[in-house]
Amino acid sequence: MTTSRRLLALATGATIAVTASACGGDDGDSITLYSGRSDGLIQPIIDRFEDESGIDVDVKYGDTADLALLISEEAAAGRVEADVYLSQSPGAMGFLDENLAQLPQETLDLVDPATRDDDGRWVGVSGRQRVLVYNSDNVDPADLPDSVFDLIDERWRGQIGVAGGNGSFQDFVTAMRFTEGEDVTAQWLSDLDDLDPVAYANNNAIVAAVGRGEVEVGLVNHYYNYRALAEDPGVASVNHLFAAGDPGGTLIVTAAAIIDGTDKADFANEFIQFLLSAEGQEYFAEETFEYPLVPGTPTAGNVPEIEFDDVGSLDLDELEGGLERTRELIADAGLES
Amino acid sequence: MSDLGTVRAATAAGADGDARRPATRSETAPGPLSFVGLAIGALFAVPAAYIVVQVISLDAPFAETWEEIRGPLWRTLQLAALVSATAAFIGTLLAWVTVRTDLPFRRAWRVALVLPLVLPSFVGAGAFIAGIAPGGIIFEVLQAVGLTPPRRFRGLGASWLVLSAFTYPYVMLPVSARLASLRTSVEESARMLGCSARQAFFRVVFPEIRPAILAGALLVFLYTLSEFGAVQLLGYDTLTRVIFATRQADRAVSFAAAAALLVMAIAVVTAERRLRGRAVPDQRTAGTQRPTELGWRKVPATLTCAAALTVGLVIPVTSLSLWAARGIRDGAVAFGDLVQPTINTAGVALVTAVVTVIVVLPIAIETTRRPGRLPTIAAGAVLGGFAIPGLVIALALAVIALNATGFGWLYQSLALLILGYVVHFGSQALASTEQAVRAVPGRVREQARLLEPRPFRRAAHVDVPLMRPGLVAGGGLVMLATLKELPATLLLAPIGFSTLATEIWSGFSEGFYAETGVASLLLIAVSASLTWLLVLRPTMRR
Repeated sequence: MTTSRRLLALATGATIAVTASACGGDDGDSITLYSGRSDGLIQPIIDRFEDESGIDVDVKYGDTADLALLISEEAAAGRVEADVYLSQSPGAMGFLDENLAQLPQETLDLVDPATRDDDGRWVGVSGRQRVLVYNSDNVDPADLPDSVFDLIDERWRGQIGVAGGNGSFQDFVTAMRFTEGEDVTAQWLSDLDDLDPVAYANNNAIVAAVGRGEVEVGLVNHYYNYRALAEDPGVASVNHLFAAGDPGGTLIVTAAAIIDGTDKADFANEFIQFLLSAEGQEYFAEETFEYPLVPGTPTAGNVPEIEFDDVGSLDLDELEGGLERTRELIADAGLES
Repeated sequence: MSDLGTVRAATAAGADGDARRPATRSETAPGPLSFVGLAIGALFAVPAAYIVVQVISLDAPFAETWEEIRGPLWRTLQLAALVSATAAFIGTLLAWVTVRTDLPFRRAWRVALVLPLVLPSFVGAGAFIAGIAPGGIIFEVLQAVGLTPPRRFRGLGASWLVLSAFTYPYVMLPVSARLASLRTSVEESARMLGCSARQAFFRVVFPEIRPAILAGALLVFLYTLSEFGAVQLLGYDTLTRVIFATRQADRAVSFAAAAALLVMAIAVVTAERRLRGRAVPDQRTAGTQRPTELGWRKVPATLTCAAALTVGLVIPVTSLSLWAARGIRDGAVAFGDLVQPTINTAGVALVTAVVTVIVVLPIAIETTRRPGRLPTIAAGAVLGGFAIPGLVIALALAVIALNATGFGWLYQSLALLILGYVVHFGSQALASTEQAVRAVPGRVREQARLLEPRPFRRAAHVDVPLMRPGLVAGGGLVMLATLKELPATLLLAPIGFSTLATEIWSGFSEGFYAETGVASLLLIAVSASLTWLLVLRPTMRR
């Protein structure tokens, strides 16, 4: 019986420990944040906000799309659980549109107009540029195309890493539909599929695969390679930028929004303004190697500067069907998995 | 009532008892426990019901939906069949070698060979892929022996290898338990009567362990159906990919794909019940076991154990250690941040294990003592919970908690999280719990009833001690599964509640490999020590 007793004691102790940790927290000023960006990237700047403002931020971390689903289910049930939502891309914001509150104009005005919602429901916080990551051991930089359209070449058959189910790839395709039209986009996707690209789970998996030489190039967001280099400076993956103005170099912004119906809109707004303050923007530039969106904030030393006018920023509202249509196009081309 | 007759028969049968005695008539009539069992079965069927309701209300056009899920469906079936067959073979082989032979260090092997179960499959697969890269362990070893390392590691073959290596313990554990309690005397008699070792195994031992093999293989099949993280990283396109890719933009297709998983789960659960049959296994426990002498075959046997452990544990752990070491060297890992997640992980897994065994027990009693249609349906609902991806179970429970009047408080509570785990992992406790129920034969219960009228004292002194090994084994499997669960944890956990699995995920998804490595090694350490302390040490023969 000693084992049973020990088990019971352990289980009781565990219940107490777990309950205590889950119920911890005080009734002071606080907001609840649903973050589609992981805690390694975002928790340090949240900690600084808590220190400086005295407002506690309770965070639920998760996948951008899953959290959007939760917020819409909560809203459908008439509940407001989250006050602020941070997403990895504007696509999820388009999905939540009617569950988001209007942001104050002064908050919207902090960023370049190209990087916020026209209807004022979300604001960009940091930017990631679409790039072509390549393996410097296997690829001569002179071979690399200036345009994503020139990537359609026998030279790259079976050598392109793609994450068709990934949010930022989908946002890039949405942007291409916006600037180049449906037909050109559908053609490009189908030409790309004809080259037997290799499908990966996400940007990060592509950067790792390019680094170890599994594929020669990959379509990704720029900052994953800087993260890879921060973990292992010896890795052979290098970012290649498409020419200015090319849809291949679209800027994908991470976005923040206030949930409609929250009674903590003021605190929520204070938090978003902090992310867009000099301190917040410098954090994203220096620590996560992203593009600050507030004009005048410099990028990290090894990240090239960017002109917002040159990058096709996307406006989902302008597009019929938004994400759903993009996904259809990607699936039709056979690139989804 | 045939109580007296039964007891008399039992007494007449002597010490060996009457294990193959069929259920008496008094036991087949449904009792109050039948309804408890049915109610619990209904609880387990909640996510499945949610899927069905969604499929009907979203009304997806059949032809288009079928077109979208046909390919992934076929690939999912192929993978699940291959992985469960492989796991059944390897798991049985390893169980026999480590329990019934004189293999050197067999007790150490028995503990070590369970460990591949503890890694979340996405990080296991990711670490395995990293092993193939230059600088990784597979790459270096292959190059050292003059072979060209493969440039790519993906698709059906890769998924089959990795998932088989991570899931064979599901077969090895129940088969080991069965073999350990099986008497060797019949086998020895068979040998004396002229059977070869192989004939003796297939004619005498195999029929006895077949239910355990089938139960384990069924779990592996269901696990593979709902597996997402590893197959996605390995570039093998299955139904779970459809469920995830369409969960936002095209929910009709997403739920149709989930429904397809359900249909497969029902089919395979039914098939397993048929194959297992109604035979009541020999419950007599072994006195002494004489191990089979391996002789020169000790070498290939040891190599087989080593190979399984290499693929399932050594390769991923080497990659994880490299990541962790790099981060620790650079001072990039904050160990203090992992203390609370570690406590949360261990605590919630222990609570879930105990709750799951208690919840599953009434169904196990029904299916073993009063087999019939209703208990079978309830058991099917429990098993089906394992085939539904954790994300879908979590969404179903979240939506119901949000909308059902009176249950709103459950949303984002630990209670709902644990309920999610119980529904998802109840299947893992079911087979062992049934085994535990069978460990208290009818005649023992009858005699106990005559000697001790107070039911609680009877349970404490007779039932619980006899059932303990089975209950502990079932709870142990649930605990291991809960320790590493990710999607339901992310969605259902209270705000700010993080576990080691969520830490591993958040590091891995953004390329913080050092953090991933440290948290994963910590998870392995926690899983291994809990398994040793609570499951293996108390049940192992000294």
